Amino acid sequence: MTSPSLQPPPQLRHSQLTDVVLWLLRQRRRFRIVGASMLPLLEPGTEVLIDPFAYRRQRPQPGDLVVAYHPRQPGLRLIKWVVYVDEDGCFLQGLNAAESTDSREFGRVPWVNIVGRVGCRFP
Amino acid sequence: MLNQAIAKLQAWFPAEAVHAHCDGPCGVYDPSSARVAAEAVLSMTKKLVDLETPASGDKAAAVAYHNTFARYTAIKEEQAQIAKDELLVLWTDYFKPVHLEQFPDLHDTFWKAAKLCSACKVEVSVQHATELMEAVQKIHGIFWTTKNRDVSWYTAS
Repeated sequence: MTSPSLQPPPQLRHSQLTDVVLWLLRQRRRFRIVGASMLPLLEPGTEVLIDPFAYRRQRPQPGDLVVAYHPRQPGLRLIKWVVYVDEDGCFLQGLNAAESTDSREFGRVPWVNIVGRVGCRFP
Repeated sequence: MLNQAIAKLQAWFPAEAVHAHCDGPCGVYDPSSARVAAEAVLSMTKKLVDLETPASGDKAAAVAYHNTFARYTAIKEEQAQIAKDELLVLWTDYFKPVHLEQFPDLHDTFWKAAKLCSACKVEVSVQHATELMEAVQKIHGIFWTTKNRDVSWYTAS
């Protein structure tokens, strides 16, 4: 198990030209945030770009922002931050702990459920 | 220029949704529903205690007395159950482990409050109904502290 990240990511940069080009080349995926569990960093309606290939060669790192499928509700995509990882998957948590349903309730999220790493806002 | 082009792309091609997810209907929890029910329990309990027994031999007064007594008791029973249900929803759905770190006596507070709801059903006890109101007031304080909001306690009656 990696040592847990005690601090969630404090900020998320805006996209640069490179990010936009990568998105146009379909190397990034774009998502719009629904819900309040990532406040104060990400407000509902904010768009982000994720790298779906980021974890092909390495595992998520504590402190990463990720998009993952909910382990119990098929098709429901979540955005959370990685607290720690181990053999079974990632322990994910919302930034707004009081208004987030996350690994504290549904346990670790299996590797196959991780969609990608959030790289930046869009734009 | 680039931002304008991006804004157009955003409008033409809406992004897929990703959920900053919460199972509950976020933000709609409020201990005031438990407070209203607990107030009704206290009110009915006081009315039951204050109800004058009719003079013996006055049949109409006896019927009216028993009818009123039964109605007060039914409302007390019903509202105590509502208070209990509302408290249990707050306890199990709203409060999370992070709150328990902040308020280590959270479980004990809710457990005792739920027990008081039961006691108010079983008994006609002004003391226990008053203690239930105090427990709901304590939960009100804890709840709004976790929301970082200063909501003063008030009662309808």
